[in-house]
Amino acid sequence: MIREFIQRRKVDQTTDTTQQDHTIISGFKAGAQFDDRLDIESEISHLESMKIVLRGFKWLKYVKALFITRWAMRTVIIIPGLFLGWFAKIVIDHVILQVPLVADDVNFPPHMYWLLEILEGREPLNIALILLTIYVFGLVLIGTRAGGTGAGLYTGRDAASSAENAVSGGQGGAFTGSEAGGIWGITEWWISVRLSQRYINRLRTDLFKRLVRAPMTRIDDQAVGDSLYRTLYDTPMVFTNITETVFSPFFTFVGLGLTFYQLWWTYAEVSMAIVGLMALMIPITIFTTIAPSRWIRRMTQNQRAAGAATTNTLEETMNNISAVQSLGAMKTEKERFAKRSAHAFWRARISMFPWLGVGIILQIVGWPLAFYLAWHVTNLVIDGQLTVGDFGALFGMYMGLQGTFQGLGRLWLNIQDQAAAARRVFFFMDLVADDEEHKPGNELGTITEGVEIENVGFQYPNGFVALRDINLQLNIGEVVALIGPTGCGKTSLAYLLPAFLKPTTGRVLVDGFDVMDIDLASLRKQTSYIFQEHFLLSESIRSNLNLANPDATEADMLRALEAASCMEFIRELPDGIDTVLGRSGDTLSVGQQQRLSIARGLVRDARIIVLDEPTAALDPQTESVLVRSLRSEAGDRLVVVIAHRLSTIRQADKIVFLDEGEIKEVGSHDELMSHEDGPYREFVNLQSSTQAA
Amino acid sequence: MRSFLGALFEYIRASFSHYIAQPTTKFINRLVERLDTWARQETARALSDENEAPEVTAKRMGSVIIRSIPFMRPMFIHILAIFLFGMFLTFLFTFTGILSSDLWDNKMMVNDKLQPAQAFVLFVDKTYLREEFLDEQELQEVKALGFEGNKLTNDQRKTIRNRMLVWFFVGDIFGIILAFLLRYYPAWVWQNVNHYLRVAMVEKLEYLSLSFHHTNRSGDAIYRIYQDSSMVVNVLDEVVVGPLNDIRDLFIAFLFVFAFDPILGVVCLLSFIPMAVITAYATPIIRRLAVRNRVTNSNLTSRIQETFAALKVVKANNAESIVVDRFDVDAHKALDAALYVRFGMVALSFIVAIIGGLVVIGLEYLLLTWVLEERETNVPGWAVVFVGLMVWNLAAFNSANGRVGQVVGTGRGFVRLWCMLQDLFIGLERAFYFLDLEPKVFDPDDPLEFPEHIDSVAWDDVHFQYDDGTQVLNGVNLSAEAGKITAIVGVTGSGKSTLMSLLLRLYDPSSGSVTINDTDIREFRIDDIRSNHAIAMQKNVLFTGKVTDNVAFGLEDVEFDKVKQACEIACADEFITALNEGYDTNLGERGAKLSAGQRQRLTIARAVIRDTPILILDEPTASLDAKTEHRVLENLSEWGRDKIVFLITHRLSTIRNADNIAFLEDGKVAESGSHEELLELAQGRYRRFVEAEEVGLVDSQVR
Ligand SMILES: Nc1ncnc2c1ncn2[C@@H]1O[C@H](COP(=O)(O)OP(=O)(O)OP(=O)(O)O)[C@@H](O)[C@H]1O
Ligand SMILES: Nc1ncnc2c1ncn2[C@@H]1O[C@H](COP(=O)(O)OP(=O)(O)OP(=O)(O)O)[C@@H](O)[C@H]1O
Ligand SMILES: [Mg+2]
Ligand SMILES: [Mg+2]
Repeated sequence: MIREFIQRRKVDQTTDTTQQDHTIISGFKAGAQFDDRLDIESEISHLESMKIVLRGFKWLKYVKALFITRWAMRTVIIIPGLFLGWFAKIVIDHVILQVPLVADDVNFPPHMYWLLEILEGREPLNIALILLTIYVFGLVLIGTRAGGTGAGLYTGRDAASSAENAVSGGQGGAFTGSEAGGIWGITEWWISVRLSQRYINRLRTDLFKRLVRAPMTRIDDQAVGDSLYRTLYDTPMVFTNITETVFSPFFTFVGLGLTFYQLWWTYAEVSMAIVGLMALMIPITIFTTIAPSRWIRRMTQNQRAAGAATTNTLEETMNNISAVQSLGAMKTEKERFAKRSAHAFWRARISMFPWLGVGIILQIVGWPLAFYLAWHVTNLVIDGQLTVGDFGALFGMYMGLQGTFQGLGRLWLNIQDQAAAARRVFFFMDLVADDEEHKPGNELGTITEGVEIENVGFQYPNGFVALRDINLQLNIGEVVALIGPTGCGKTSLAYLLPAFLKPTTGRVLVDGFDVMDIDLASLRKQTSYIFQEHFLLSESIRSNLNLANPDATEADMLRALEAASCMEFIRELPDGIDTVLGRSGDTLSVGQQQRLSIARGLVRDARIIVLDEPTAALDPQTESVLVRSLRSEAGDRLVVVIAHRLSTIRQADKIVFLDEGEIKEVGSHDELMSHEDGPYREFVNLQSSTQAA
Repeated sequence: MRSFLGALFEYIRASFSHYIAQPTTKFINRLVERLDTWARQETARALSDENEAPEVTAKRMGSVIIRSIPFMRPMFIHILAIFLFGMFLTFLFTFTGILSSDLWDNKMMVNDKLQPAQAFVLFVDKTYLREEFLDEQELQEVKALGFEGNKLTNDQRKTIRNRMLVWFFVGDIFGIILAFLLRYYPAWVWQNVNHYLRVAMVEKLEYLSLSFHHTNRSGDAIYRIYQDSSMVVNVLDEVVVGPLNDIRDLFIAFLFVFAFDPILGVVCLLSFIPMAVITAYATPIIRRLAVRNRVTNSNLTSRIQETFAALKVVKANNAESIVVDRFDVDAHKALDAALYVRFGMVALSFIVAIIGGLVVIGLEYLLLTWVLEERETNVPGWAVVFVGLMVWNLAAFNSANGRVGQVVGTGRGFVRLWCMLQDLFIGLERAFYFLDLEPKVFDPDDPLEFPEHIDSVAWDDVHFQYDDGTQVLNGVNLSAEAGKITAIVGVTGSGKSTLMSLLLRLYDPSSGSVTINDTDIREFRIDDIRSNHAIAMQKNVLFTGKVTDNVAFGLEDVEFDKVKQACEIACADEFITALNEGYDTNLGERGAKLSAGQRQRLTIARAVIRDTPILILDEPTASLDAKTEHRVLENLSEWGRDKIVFLITHRLSTIRNADNIAFLEDGKVAESGSHEELLELAQGRYRRFVEAEEVGLVDSQVR
């Protein structure tokens, strides 16, 4: 009991986020490698980073109204601030100290005059009553004396866990949420949250669409976890970037202008000089932070790539947990995760270092200014030209302004940080989508003739030549069998039909049109590809079928399920066709999953159907019956079967024998059998002999 | 000297460890252990049901805190260090602040001579010192130099000013570095804490039974491990230290308010009542919203994960727009939930702010009337030594007004904190939920040694049903011996793979037993069982990475020769060597860059390299052509000569290689024996099966 207890509570400390084999300096260097195969050039120049920032503005067009409302509300709410400070002064001077209020006597800025006129000559308590009544109204309306509105939730110490707040936080302060409270504050807060949500969701949707439409060969190189990371955790930074570039400087300047306007009535002569001096801080800050800004970009990228790599591991293990457990790889997989997670944390942590450098640099650079001011003013004090109070006021002003201007300079760095995350989003936005390589809008009519493959060669991006010199005529109404030894290119050839792969040389013509010249969706709609290795979604069977054909009626579904021999097991299921499948379909036997994915391929009324090795799933009779019925049911279909079973192959009107990416023989069973020493004949004999032996 | 210091240091260290550190750790350990049991009962409840509104109990909140402690404990010393370091810095900054402001404002600006300590830090000589700190002789010297009296000359003032500016510069740089350390060090500590929790969660997940995984979405696991677990970093600062500080401030502020006038204090206190009532009313709602927020966001994560994992199907079905629509629905649900939970918090804050604001404004009016009346305050007489606030005047007004604002403000702050904590607790409970799950299949208390040699494996009247109630096995009796190949045949869905998962203890039978050398396998450690089996699974699962990584998946430190050898047996070497980078080729996401038959051979190689006494091949040749299949099987039967081999297959050609064939039907072994024996059964099911398989063959030969 106790032992079990201690065992349970013991925390695994074999890894922690300290990285023995990495120095902090190595964190500053470019070229750190993570999981990425596509996005490997992550260095960007200053110019590129600015372009990325500008690019984010494009999505503002979807949230125009919200954006403008938000901006207006944020600007308007500055106005009450101009009054409240003076209110406090009136309370002290004219209520408590009972100094009679004479409008022209005291130093008030012009916008206060109307109020002074109302208050002029009244009893102190009367004045107090008026002001406090205004306070009460202000409290309900704009939250006077109650502070701003924001609702950030706690986050962790990594980029992923702070993403949600960036989407929906609307925290007060940093230009999200509202500076005001009360009804105004809630309204503005709501609008600001909706604004960021809409913007980010729009961006996410666009990225999601892009990733979903990535070409087949890219999918092989893109990790699921990474796509997830980019969609969920990188996108919010694009919006943060926008607020940083738009709202922050704007409102800082407005705030400065207003302070200055109020100062004008008090320290007119000196304030000008100080502000001018301080404005120097902006270029100086930017200039001196050019070098760190490169590090910041790099480290942010790396931090996020490392986070994505952790997600990859986790996702891969979770998705294939039965393999992990069957192979007894639980421990090594856990360690793999632990290592990556630790590394990601480390990356997140060391990205603080450039900011340390920046802080020190700014201090060193800003020092001469401060030094000069302090030196000069104190000289005046020592020489008796200024009072001690003057020094305090002036230096206080200097410190305030310095903070603001350094902040503005630092903004540049914030933007760099976010631009680095944004780059990860835009990288995938820029990849050519599957359908863009074709001619969108150029609709293909119902396929009536067939497919002609002309001198096609295909080379995978890694340089492997999978197909050579393919010439083939496939007609509607035919059943074509593709056969050949494993790895010879059958799947690759069949992938040409729905344009999953696009020929590197030669052309694929559908009804006489080059597939590259037609609208991809109109082609895909008419083809149905049943993969060799099936994928099911963990949803109901019905919804899995609906994915292929959203308009399928119950009868259509039952017909398809019957044809793929699914009904015999679906009938046994508690909820029949509405049974929800487990993770990637794993609550069915593998054969059942395969049958179901065949049914999914059949539920669409496609002109071209490709069955990539249905053998394992179906027994011989079912397979023959299926292929036969596919042809006879409607003569206007092209059925391509990749098969090893003779019973199926013999059904075919045309048999294509492939080897090493080349077509060796084409013809009907009888024709091919008549070739003495032909590869097909040899294949049949081998098949028979092994089976008969 | 040095050795003395060393000894002293060692003595201090040893006695610290003996008298303080060890007993403290022991005490904490015992305490945590006791609390942990108690806490466990509280959060054991599933939080995956979004409709459940977990009730607020202090106990439950406490339990979450206590359950976080084990993850913080390894960092205990550092957490303490941060705390002490922070305290030290506060003192340091207060001290230097006082020193420098005295120097600057009182000495340099208004022209007074320095205290000795001040002169010391500025490296200035006696002439800067106040006279009372000089002895007779020094006084004479100073006088002789012409620096009489307690006033500085202008030059001296400038010197002080210059030196101070240099100090300020140094201090600023030092401050930046300290500030950085104060951020970096805690970051390291809390990241580690979060890391430990993450790893604990992943470890648990790896070992949880498949029945859990089948119904739990991958995205949910990702969300819990990424988002929910990250809440642990806030437990100490936000749940424990923060409120304590607030309470301290509140208490002090209250004291002052009461000191000024009890009426003020009473009004402030009264204002807390409606705040508390409203908060109590709103809390369950906010909690429910917080649960919903986390659940919908985790669903969104799952949706994205599932879509990307099945991208090929989406493509094949031209279903891009459908999945985008589904994404959109989930995204909106998540965004709405995120908005509403926060709106709940904002709305509550709004109400509380109005109550608080009215109190502040009302009291301000009251104070103003008092000031005008020149009413006496309640400040005790003796305090006059320190402050002149016996009558309501400007200063009294300012202080009292400030304190009232502070009291009310802290009250509001509490409400806000409380709301955020609700979310934090929900997050942590969701994270701990994983840790609480018990695998259905677990190690025995006293595991037996796993036998050196496995002679036989047997299923003894095994019944099995899955969680959803499907009865799959109905009394299976089957045995296999070393050196024999046992083929298992049956229609799809007849339970062949299930039978094998029982042998791996992925599940346990509902009755009957699976035995190895006549010992129930439930007597062995799971790790032992699995490390004595090698399986080539029916689904060819490959992982992102190199060929070698995939073949040696789950094994540590494997020699390359072994990998190569295994690949040769599986006939995989021939295509691997043809790849660009041979065994170092990257296979792409989940091995996508190979053909199906190539992937299948890699999974066979993966089983072979394990070289275990039991080998399970589940449809090992489904994607291979006849020639390759023949070669693979030849190699395998040669290699597996003294092993127990299970072979599940549809293919006749494969079955032929078996010594014993078991035909599975209706959850039982309907027939078993060798190929020839089974064919002799006149109405045999196996025979029918074989005939069906041969149809195609016969057909083609007739022609
Ligand atoms: N994405 C890819 N990148 C690079 N090479 C690939 C990729 N996919 C396949 N190949 C290679 O192309 C060749 C043909 O693969 P293909 O999948 O077309 O074979 P197949 O005839 O369908 O084989 P099988 O019967 O095993 O399914 C194989 O050698 C394979 O390694
Ligand atoms: N995780 C699960 N939860 C519920 N039912 C399951 C689960 N896995 C399998 N089943 C059901 O149990 C039965 C046996 O499945 P099993 O995978 O053992 O079949 P099999 O004989 O291996 O079939 P195949 O030849 O198709 O691989 C099937 O009816 C299947 O639907
Ligand atoms: Mg293939
Ligand atoms: Mg199976």
